[in-house]
Amino acid sequence: MTDSTAPGKTGINWAKFLEVYGIILVVIVMMLALAAIKPEVFLSAQNLTNILKQNASLALLALGMYVVIVTAGIDLSVGSIMGLSMVALAIASKAGVPWPVVLLIGPAIGIAVGWVNGVGLTVLKLPHPFIMTLGTLNVARGLTFLISNGAPVSGLQPEVRYIGQAYYSFGLPPPAGIPASLILVAVCAVGLWFFLEKTNMGRHIFAIGGNPHAARVSGINVDGTLTVVYVISGFMAGLSGLLLAGRTDSGFPNAGIGIELDAIAAVIIGGASFFGGRGTVMGVLAGVLIMGILRNGLNINNVSAFWQQILIGLVIIIAVYIDVLRRRASVRR
Amino acid sequence: MKKLLLAGVAVGALLGMMGSANAAYVLAMKGPGAGNPFWAAVEAGAKAKATELGVEVVVVAPPAESDVQAQITQIEDLIAQGIDGLALAPTDPNALAPVVEAARAAGIPVVFVDTRGINEGVTFIGTNNEVGAALAAKYLCDTLPAGSDVAILQGLISQSTGQARAEGSKKGLTDCGLNVVAEQTAEWDRAKGLTVTENILAGNPNIKGIFGSNDNMALGAVEAVKAAARTDITIVGFDANPDAAAAVIAGDMAATIAQAPGNMGGFGIQALFDLKAGKTLDAWIDTGTVLVTKDNADGYK
Repeated sequence: MTDSTAPGKTGINWAKFLEVYGIILVVIVMMLALAAIKPEVFLSAQNLTNILKQNASLALLALGMYVVIVTAGIDLSVGSIMGLSMVALAIASKAGVPWPVVLLIGPAIGIAVGWVNGVGLTVLKLPHPFIMTLGTLNVARGLTFLISNGAPVSGLQPEVRYIGQAYYSFGLPPPAGIPASLILVAVCAVGLWFFLEKTNMGRHIFAIGGNPHAARVSGINVDGTLTVVYVISGFMAGLSGLLLAGRTDSGFPNAGIGIELDAIAAVIIGGASFFGGRGTVMGVLAGVLIMGILRNGLNINNVSAFWQQILIGLVIIIAVYIDVLRRRASVRR
Repeated sequence: MKKLLLAGVAVGALLGMMGSANAAYVLAMKGPGAGNPFWAAVEAGAKAKATELGVEVVVVAPPAESDVQAQITQIEDLIAQGIDGLALAPTDPNALAPVVEAARAAGIPVVFVDTRGINEGVTFIGTNNEVGAALAAKYLCDTLPAGSDVAILQGLISQSTGQARAEGSKKGLTDCGLNVVAEQTAEWDRAKGLTVTENILAGNPNIKGIFGSNDNMALGAVEAVKAAARTDITIVGFDANPDAAAAVIAGDMAATIAQAPGNMGGFGIQALFDLKAGKTLDAWIDTGTVLVTKDNADGYK
């Protein structure tokens, strides 16, 4: 590692390259392995489409969670926000509310709950975001059961379903093609990347994650920035509810139970630090893909769901351990 | 917090009726009846029977069907209150076994409804899920040419209901010469049913029939099949919930299997009443299953 950074030896800085693109290599290796095991199925256009659309809502949740984790926070409420959004927009859609309004319901609920999270953290000064978002996890899930009476609400307007269900086939036989949900994920990812890397507030978010006291001393509006962070996470969760409702044609009150843990896992596998201040948007998307490809690969090989859980657990541990080793190496240097 | 609240409600309801001279029976369900049509029907059946017999019924349920701990807590609190009978749908038969023993030790008659527990000598009142799943399998056998590829979406196979439906359908489908090419769990969930079906279709393009161990998963399969623009796949569910009945009428699903949840509640309270009166019961009181197709789906909407 030290050699490669010395000037004049090679043209490429391998340590830096691995730091940024190592996670992408993992995705490629996994894909190659699955392609070798089941070439006719894994590489089919239909299966690749499946992977993209099955993981779109998790990708949105993970992007929101990433912003929170960059500030060394955590948002446990995203699965409940997703469920609440789905049920609320399904009820509105069934009630004949005009579809452009229905589209806004999910994101609006997400923003509202995210704002409550931010206020709990910064105004009520609850000691850790774990506590505030654990509270809203329960409140939002309870509201979900309350407004739906515990029953699924099915049959949405086609316009509401569009973003979660449509795909552009480019002449491929159905159901293969580019899912509309992928485009939404791409737009959100690019937007988030721009926000974090190119705006002042984005830089402040990293500064808060690196050292909140230093950030406060240097004049950053820490409370305001943190509130925005939780609003972003809530917004993404509401949007992902819109995707899943469109995909399943239903708002069902159990939707998204426990999915916050998948989102956290994807962010961590993608190389973000639980202690804040570190991570990339690309890493998060790769983390989502690693979990998605692992599940898909096990599914198409008819491996039991129990093994999938065990393997995903191991992947989380191994991914973070590799990160620990890499960082130890760079510290020694 | 939810547990505390529910326990509080249950205790409050019990205190309210302790004053009355009527016998007080408890129906402990797996999930909240409010809104869930299945548990609502169980609850309604129990209440109708209670009115007929002139007894009180208190209904309790954990906030989610997976919340085993909350149900144990509820039952323990009920035993402490002293009740006249318990009709229990155990979220997890093994985990609930000790509290069922505790109830019987306290002299409280117990019957299982919907889901069979493991305790010896406790009457079970509910659907024979294996028979119901075999009924679904028979429908697929009658509809599809012999040798066709079919798939089974399993429920949680850690639960006896999930096991019975998986086994009953598998046996029925293989016995009549259909080719079961995929059996995967979608954990009773609509989104997972959709995802698993997408993956099954990718790996097995010749699938002609899908049995969803509950309607939620079958409706997820409907979405996957529609997205794949396949019109030659026969989908059969289980439970006959209103969404599934609508899908059967619309032609998206071919059939589903109806249980008789009203019977579970009604027979359950009758059984407790009979036990209290000193009668003995059969080990299994079958509440029956019905095949629901376009012909009779209207009644389940």
